[in-house]
Amino acid sequence: MEADALVRDYLGRLEAAAWPLAADRRGELLVEVREHIESALAEAGNRDEVTARNVLERLGAPEEIVAAEAETGQPAGWMPPSPGPADRRAGWGLIEVGALLFLTVGAIFLPIVGPMVGLVLVWLSTEWTTRQKSIATLIVVILLFLPVLLLLGVSVGSTSSGS
Amino acid sequence: MLEQMFYLANGQDLTGIYPRIILRDMVPGETRNPLTELRRGVLEYCVLAVVRHEESYAFDIVRELAGAGELVTSEGTIYPLLSRLRRDRLVTTTWRESDAGPPRRYYRITDEGRRALDGFRSDWARFRDAVDALLAATARGGKDGG
Repeated sequence: MEADALVRDYLGRLEAAAWPLAADRRGELLVEVREHIESALAEAGNRDEVTARNVLERLGAPEEIVAAEAETGQPAGWMPPSPGPADRRAGWGLIEVGALLFLTVGAIFLPIVGPMVGLVLVWLSTEWTTRQKSIATLIVVILLFLPVLLLLGVSVGSTSSGS
Repeated sequence: MLEQMFYLANGQDLTGIYPRIILRDMVPGETRNPLTELRRGVLEYCVLAVVRHEESYAFDIVRELAGAGELVTSEGTIYPLLSRLRRDRLVTTTWRESDAGPPRRYYRITDEGRRALDGFRSDWARFRDAVDALLAATARGGKDGG
């Protein structure tokens, strides 16, 4: 009875730890480990608490088994992406950080001038594609001229309603 | 869109750092042990060696590896490895009736697995000899120097 409770508890922990794995593999792993425990207990010819504790200890912590699963490259939701893209981003330097700062914080503290400097930095950077740079430029231009257009629209609207 | 750019910048930076942290944190205490790294690379070939000549039940594979000493610290971690070998088609499995309990899955090496094992066998021999020679030479050198 005590042994069965220990085994149930262990399998429960394994199931909880295995949530990041793909559903079919998770089920399979649970069956495999349960079978292992049953075989080990049968081999020992004893179902007492000490035997169960020894069997479970030899298996290792549930978290350790799940970590081993992750290392084998099992496709699962949380599996880390390959380091390839991260390596390409290693080139992020002063220009890129400066560009982002001028485009965001700079727009508040240095109206118009800040975003313009940011854009220059964006085009100087080698980290972004021409397409990304164009999109950034378009956004800045639209945001800069939007207030002007809105004001024009309001004044045109008021003059037309006034006449 | 700017927010999106920010998100991308942050997200991509994180992918480079997080995976290693997650993997290492998940197995506390094992990170600094050089044997852990060695086992990681070698164990799959040991599994192939075990199933090379006869079809084996997973539990017996695990027991044989654990019985060899040094190779396995946590028996449960063999199951993820067996799963990967299946996926990579280095082993194939067959379900068989069992005298005790439900049907069991038996593992057998494939031609591809046999080729991988043969390749490893010669790689390992050269690797082992190189390390042994280097260790022996430097051990002698150390004594002479001291």
